[in-house]
Amino acid sequence: MITPASSSRPTASRRRFLTLTAGALATTALTATACSAPAKATASAKPSASGGKDLTKIGLDYPFTQLPLYSTLVRLSTAAAKKHGISLITTSDNAGADTQATNLRTWVTQKVPAIVSFPMVFEAAEPIARQALDAGLIWVTYGGSLDHQSADIKFSFSKGGTLLGEAAAKWAQQKLGGKGKIAFLTDSTIELGRERTKGMIDAFTKAAPGVDVVAQEQAIDPDTGLSKTKAILARHPDLNLVLGVTDAAAYGAFKALQQAGRSTDDAKTFVGGQDGAAPSLLAIRQGTFYRASAALAPDDIAAAIVDVPRAVAAGKSHPSVEVPIALVGPGDTARINQLLAQNA
Amino acid sequence: MTTADTALFRPRALATGGLAAVRRHPLILVLAAMVLVFQVSTGSFLAPANLSGIATDAAALAVVAVPLALLVISGYLDLSVGSTLALGGLVAGRLANEGQSPAVAVLGALAVGAAVGAVNGVLCCYLGLSPFIVTLGMLTAVRGLDQQLFPLPLSGFGSGFAWLGGATIAGIAAPVVIAALVLVAGALFLAFAPGGRHVFAIGVNREAAHLSGINIRRTPFLLFVATGVAAALAGAVKASVLDSVVAGTSGAGFELTVLTAVLIGGVALTGGSGSILGVLLGVLFLGGLQNGLTLLNVPTFWQQMAQGTALVAGAALAYLAPRTGR
Repeated sequence: MITPASSSRPTASRRRFLTLTAGALATTALTATACSAPAKATASAKPSASGGKDLTKIGLDYPFTQLPLYSTLVRLSTAAAKKHGISLITTSDNAGADTQATNLRTWVTQKVPAIVSFPMVFEAAEPIARQALDAGLIWVTYGGSLDHQSADIKFSFSKGGTLLGEAAAKWAQQKLGGKGKIAFLTDSTIELGRERTKGMIDAFTKAAPGVDVVAQEQAIDPDTGLSKTKAILARHPDLNLVLGVTDAAAYGAFKALQQAGRSTDDAKTFVGGQDGAAPSLLAIRQGTFYRASAALAPDDIAAAIVDVPRAVAAGKSHPSVEVPIALVGPGDTARINQLLAQNA
Repeated sequence: MTTADTALFRPRALATGGLAAVRRHPLILVLAAMVLVFQVSTGSFLAPANLSGIATDAAALAVVAVPLALLVISGYLDLSVGSTLALGGLVAGRLANEGQSPAVAVLGALAVGAAVGAVNGVLCCYLGLSPFIVTLGMLTAVRGLDQQLFPLPLSGFGSGFAWLGGATIAGIAAPVVIAALVLVAGALFLAFAPGGRHVFAIGVNREAAHLSGINIRRTPFLLFVATGVAAALAGAVKASVLDSVVAGTSGAGFELTVLTAVLIGGVALTGGSGSILGVLLGVLFLGGLQNGLTLLNVPTFWQQMAQGTALVAGAALAYLAPRTGR
């Protein structure tokens, strides 16, 4: 059975998440944060061949196994599935699109009753999803939508960047009188990174036009964030703000500023990132100049990984969900503690 | 004079430095030109703070590049250093988190690095397996071990452990001092120690070296161990500098970066040729290029093209230099 999700098919460039080589490394850090989704309407689910029956097994295909989020999601999803008497199995894709396709085909052949997949290349996943639906299986797309799917779990790619940019701009207006210097640590290798970057820069420059943008550098990991920020500081020692497309890169910038002599609670410095990574959350909670992170809650994602296939199996009319993303700052101690507990 | 004789005498000849070194290492001229261009273009490339930043960033690379260069000169290779670096950082970080002293944390890292190096060494030197295959396998296996043992990021190692990456000794950052010690030790070993001559001899012709009474298994085995130890030390330094370490991504791709530094520094991948001065130049070239392009605010994709082109040019010069010198 095929359940069209949308009447219009997205362009290839829009749906391509990364290239197999250069993009792979970037993807690891970026998707560690769990990302957001290309907007696309999803049709209501129709019960699959397994519809109406209790699910006994869900296959979670999250390709970026090198990310801390992978371990967290597997742990939380396994626990959530167990509550419903469902066993959770996983792939080991190692961020390889070819490996992912092979693993997914194997699951379809084995007739794993429900598959939740985060496709690295959406075009490559489309025929596999179609095979799965033809075989009467449930297919849930994570991080976007396919033409052939039972439902999806989405999150906005750009919203985290927008929230971060707006918060930083507000801080710059209040603390710097709308003046100062900012550097952006960006990613242009994958759609997720591009949309996050655009959301972050557009929101900031619109709300704080008086702040001078002195650099936009590609950086998604702490090492690169550190070295790039050191170089930027050599030319602009009075740099005030650094916003990162990932928390990992922003944390590198945070350490570079500290090593350049900034006090950890410097009132004229703002660093922010995206992902809700534990080191960044700890820095925010401690009241340092690492002041914000746009974060998805792993608990929300894990619950969706189990609940959406169950809803499809039960024949519910609107099984898809959108996972919310929120900005956390120094005043959000309870929320930070919650996020840290989920990552523990 | 045979090729082997040339190789055996090369370290001492290099020690004399000067013009001969420039002739043998035209990368010096490329490096000088690069520094000039970046300084004129940016006005801040030679600023003390920037030079300190370059040196600190390049320190971990230098620490691993030295023993890896010796390994390559002896005709072997280690591609597992990226994962070993992560393991070293993770072990040191965990020990620091548990309240152990920085010395214990670093020693713990060195021990696991030595263990990884010993496994590589036994498989390659005593069982005769291909170093490319073995260390490529270890690259993956150790990364898996990293993630299995430490699925979540580690951070907040405390002020004691921060000394390793953040302290200054006579005004010089501790990682730079560590790198300098490793470079000097490597250069002295190659130039004056019998083991240094053995490294060249084994790399030039293993059978001839064996017939000359050189232990062709023990020396490269020890170099594998030294490379593992150095990678783990670099991991501990990086963990200290960043005050955090992530099992899945720390050191990812590092093996190619360090191998690039070694090769553009003039070390022959086929073994038997190379010097620590060349390795230092390769490390400085990579670090300076990255920094300069960032200072110039060059767009990302242009940076990639410029880096690739510069690396090919540097490698071509390094390849041509020994020929003209012979």
